Amino acid sequence: MSIEKRMLARELKLIAARPGDIFKPMWFLILVISMVPLALAPDSDLLAEIGSAMIWVATLLALLLNTEHLFQSDFSDGVLEQWLFLDRPLAWLVGLKLVAHWLFHVLPLILITPIAGLMLSVPTEVLIALLITLFVATPALTCFSGLGAALTLGSSRSGILGVLVMMPLFVPVVILAAGVLIRATDGSDTLPLLALLGAFSVVAATLVPIAVSAAIRLNIGGSN
Amino acid sequence: MGWRWFHQWGSPRLFYERAGRWQLVCGWLALILLVAGSLWGLGFAPVDYQQGNSYRIIYLHVPVAFLAQAMYAAMAVCAVVLFVWKMKLADVAMQAIAVMGFAFTALALISGAVWGKPTWGTYWVWDARLTSMLILAFLYLGVIGLRAAIQDPDQAGKACGILVLVGVVNLPIIKYSVEWWNTLHQPASLKLTEKPAMPASMWVPLLVNILGYYIAAAYLVLGSMRAIVLERERRATWVKELVGRA
Repeated sequence: MSIEKRMLARELKLIAARPGDIFKPMWFLILVISMVPLALAPDSDLLAEIGSAMIWVATLLALLLNTEHLFQSDFSDGVLEQWLFLDRPLAWLVGLKLVAHWLFHVLPLILITPIAGLMLSVPTEVLIALLITLFVATPALTCFSGLGAALTLGSSRSGILGVLVMMPLFVPVVILAAGVLIRATDGSDTLPLLALLGAFSVVAATLVPIAVSAAIRLNIGGSN
Repeated sequence: MGWRWFHQWGSPRLFYERAGRWQLVCGWLALILLVAGSLWGLGFAPVDYQQGNSYRIIYLHVPVAFLAQAMYAAMAVCAVVLFVWKMKLADVAMQAIAVMGFAFTALALISGAVWGKPTWGTYWVWDARLTSMLILAFLYLGVIGLRAAIQDPDQAGKACGILVLVGVVNLPIIKYSVEWWNTLHQPASLKLTEKPAMPASMWVPLLVNILGYYIAAAYLVLGSMRAIVLERERRATWVKELVGRA
């Protein structure tokens, strides 16, 4: 079995050992969305208007909180150190880890957003646009929050620092996604903005793993 | 002479002494320029026909806003120097600039808010340039926070370097996306490529002040770099002697 397959199998085993980890971010998302009508008003027109934006922000937060400790257990049990000895570039392994994380932890989060949409009575065509933006944008978000997780690996008292450090970098993604949602509400063409969003994700997925691997190397070098 | 001048930068002691002399020069130069530019701008430049005297805050706001952005670029240059030449002084500079950059960004935001009240009737609007300034402040805070969280200074410096480089690649994307998102701000008052719309009697003192603030920033950064060098080298004999003498 190749290293790549074994890595994915290991991720699956880890999830099977602690299935609760998948549900916590979904639980968080639905809980935050339930707070919106309570804090605002049960008026469905009002909710529909801000619903898609609220769901986007809540998903962003859920994703960030979920990715914050992405490398922590691999770091403390020495798996990251073993990565350095494999005959694969570290950035490639980091990329695989990010892909696995997206598949097993972010995808479930995206798949639950229609329920959040129903809760806030978001119109169907906007809900579809929301799902598409999340599919296109979350790879970039996952990469950047992975970088935050890697940068704060070495510090035991970082708290949510990784989240705070990376959040400003999400600005273009959030703006472009909001643009898509506004256009979807108007019924105008969303494709150009989606293409830009996709481009951002592709560039992030290509370059950020290199920065992540530098951050990991740094933390492993520092602890010895 | 070869690379000798370059390697001398590796000596914290030499830097400490040299920077002290430069700081003196910068300090006096900045003082002269800022006193001249501010007196000229605040006292003698003509009154704006639309905004009255309230426009005079540009003599603070514009230089500070320039610096807020320039310092992030300076930090990125330091990060490159740190990674390419492993020069520890670049890390010291990065640490000093991060704090000063945040201070200038905060000052730009505050002076902008103070200017916004009489001009737009509100302290804050979600306009493109204000928003990207706010994001810039958060980026600076991230760099400061990351350094504070990691104990080993070498490791902290490299982590900050990675963050700064990722940030500097993103900064133009952030800026343009925010601009696309919303533009109702008046267009930039000073552009390098065009003749400014202001009369010379208004923009010449502004230019003097911009120069003054840049040199003042150099003074501040050098001072804080010297303090950081002393702190990091606190176990070295020369620092002990220096502190003992004082």
